[in-house]
Amino acid sequence: MRSRVFLLICCAVAILVFALARLIDNNYVFFAGYVVLQFIVLATAWNILGGYCGYVNFGSAAFFALGAYTTVFFHKVYQLPIPLLIVLGGIVSGLVGFGMGYLTLRLRGAFFAIATLALAVVLQTLIVNWQFVGGSRGAYVIRPNTIDVLGLAVPYIQYLFLLMLLLTVAAIATARTIERSRLGFGFATIRDDELAAEACGVPTLRLKLIATTVSGALMGMAGAPFPYYLGYLEPSSAFGLAYAVNSIAMPMIGGTGVWIGPLIGAILLGTIQQIATVTISSAVNLLIVGVLLVAFVIIAPNGLIGLIQDFLKATASRWRVAQIGVVAIATYCFVLGILVVLISIPWMSSGAADRMLVTMGIATCTVGIMLLVCSYALLTLQRWGAMLTACSLAAAIAGTALLYLVNVIKPGSEGILATCIAIAGISVWFVLRSDVRSIYDKDVGIPMSSVPRTGS
Amino acid sequence: MDFPLELLINAIIAGVLLGGFYIAVTVGISIAFGMLDIVNIAHPAFIILGSYLAYIINQNFGLDPVLVGLLMLPVFYALGAAVYQVYYLSFEKRGQEALRGLAFFFGILFITEVGLILVFGVDYRYVDAPYIGPTLRFAFVDLPYRLLVPCVLSLVMIVVLQVYLSRTFVGRAIQAVSQDQGALALMAANPIAIKRIAFGISIATAAMAGAFLIIIQPVEPSVGREYIGRVFAICVLGGLGSLPGTVIGAMLLGVVESITATFYGPSWAPAVAFGFLLLTLAFRPAGLLGR
Repeated sequence: MRSRVFLLICCAVAILVFALARLIDNNYVFFAGYVVLQFIVLATAWNILGGYCGYVNFGSAAFFALGAYTTVFFHKVYQLPIPLLIVLGGIVSGLVGFGMGYLTLRLRGAFFAIATLALAVVLQTLIVNWQFVGGSRGAYVIRPNTIDVLGLAVPYIQYLFLLMLLLTVAAIATARTIERSRLGFGFATIRDDELAAEACGVPTLRLKLIATTVSGALMGMAGAPFPYYLGYLEPSSAFGLAYAVNSIAMPMIGGTGVWIGPLIGAILLGTIQQIATVTISSAVNLLIVGVLLVAFVIIAPNGLIGLIQDFLKATASRWRVAQIGVVAIATYCFVLGILVVLISIPWMSSGAADRMLVTMGIATCTVGIMLLVCSYALLTLQRWGAMLTACSLAAAIAGTALLYLVNVIKPGSEGILATCIAIAGISVWFVLRSDVRSIYDKDVGIPMSSVPRTGS
Repeated sequence: MDFPLELLINAIIAGVLLGGFYIAVTVGISIAFGMLDIVNIAHPAFIILGSYLAYIINQNFGLDPVLVGLLMLPVFYALGAAVYQVYYLSFEKRGQEALRGLAFFFGILFITEVGLILVFGVDYRYVDAPYIGPTLRFAFVDLPYRLLVPCVLSLVMIVVLQVYLSRTFVGRAIQAVSQDQGALALMAANPIAIKRIAFGISIATAAMAGAFLIIIQPVEPSVGREYIGRVFAICVLGGLGSLPGTVIGAMLLGVVESITATFYGPSWAPAVAFGFLLLTLAFRPAGLLGR
């Protein structure tokens, strides 16, 4: 696909997303959506250096905060429109990324990772001691309620959302363009074997500097509107470890080395976190990210995209519809499984007062975990994959019906429930078809040892 | 700003004592990162875990934190061996330690920190022991026992480790594994088993370091993050894999940090370590006693 066509498609999707958000017409959608979009930009930016070049950056929070504090600085000096601030934040973070890369990239990869951690703390110390931008007390950035865009009074949060949406489109388009250009191939050679690349005349240092600069600049741009979003900025929230973990976990879970990996990872994790923050607590949602990160790097080193690619490759000779169907069912099981586990956690922790709810919580959680195992088994061609999926989905249908009958699920969501049950039913029928089951009868499964593959 | 001599001398001595404690914190990384090439950025998390165990047992049973640290050595050794086994099977064997191994340890660091926050909250925790509080005094020189005890014990620990590494077969095998795994295998020693032992020892030191940490200062879950930079700064500064280098690096950093904290305020102290690290990486990546 040509870059220009891709950009047009991205813009169309962005317009669609914005229109949908306007349609729901609830400010919370914009607040939550902004965070998810911000994570897409951060994850994409991390992927340019981490996924394409193979250099791990633990200091995403530093670049993000740098962008945010650039905004605070200019807010105090001279008020500028946000799009300009985004550009400025990008320039500052890009410069820091360049300097950082210049200092450390001549060394082995691990040193770079440690140095990025170091950078985050040095910058945080500087900001804490810099009274002009608020020091450790933090700084207030009061945002107006509405803003004029093309003569229309738009609520400010919608304006921020729109800006972040445009930034997301720009970030993804940049990442995809890099991936398919000479630059991207150069990055890939660095990732696969830096020494060999250097010996073949690839200007590795220059390429790595480009990567750190672009990656840093995008992170800074993601951070620039942040003070306006929050209204108040202080060092420990801007430099929070959550940004660093998320921007690593999202590409790792989605799949590194391709532009779509961080996008999928960020949408998935970002949404899960928003749900978990509302239903459980914000500390638990960070724990979920950490657990998912560790689980994925161990079980599925190439992320969701890697799992799907491996599956498609191993079953290349099969009936096309069966392939697509299985991938769709696995995705459905994965998303449903995570949601079910999330729903069951508050039930399980409701304490001894409500024993029935606790029991149901445990049962629900088991089904959720079974669904997660299913999605993994389906994609890695485990022999028992198809049967387990059919059983788990059947259990999920029965459980949902039961929960509805005993009124744990509030009335009013019948439509969604019916849809879920219908999809699950169709999935069971599909998985039990003989031509789908034959995939699992004959193939012995993708052994874990075939996994060493750095991406692409 | 004037520099009163007494204050300066006291700052230097406090720095040396602090440096002694930094030895205990860093020696684990010196083994894991310097000798085994395992970038265990989760090491500070294990230290904090050690601190919390010392806190729990001290508050419930009144046991001395140092004693708890000693008792926890086998537990942490087993933990380290288990973590290494997972790391080996999931990353080293598949040749993916660069990107995913790092992410793995980062995840562990994060899970430990958030887990501790969920269980204990973000309150500062401390222990009771007879030597926390009183101070040894010579003329105008203060030697707080709270710093002196960890410092002396750390020095004992590193001497024991150095002797172990240079005198016993397994110790020498650990040093050899960093140089040539193939040659070690020819000596009829299993490199993986040797690495597992070494990593176990590395994590075991975290139990002691954790006990020392909670003697020196009250601890809360995110304190560990400050130590990531410190341990790697000391490790790189001293030269990778060199225990004497670790001692020198730790003392140097302790003194500089202490002087900074005394004359410019404690809020600048964290930046010193990282500044050191960045400068070392930029100008002498092999470290002071590097190979």
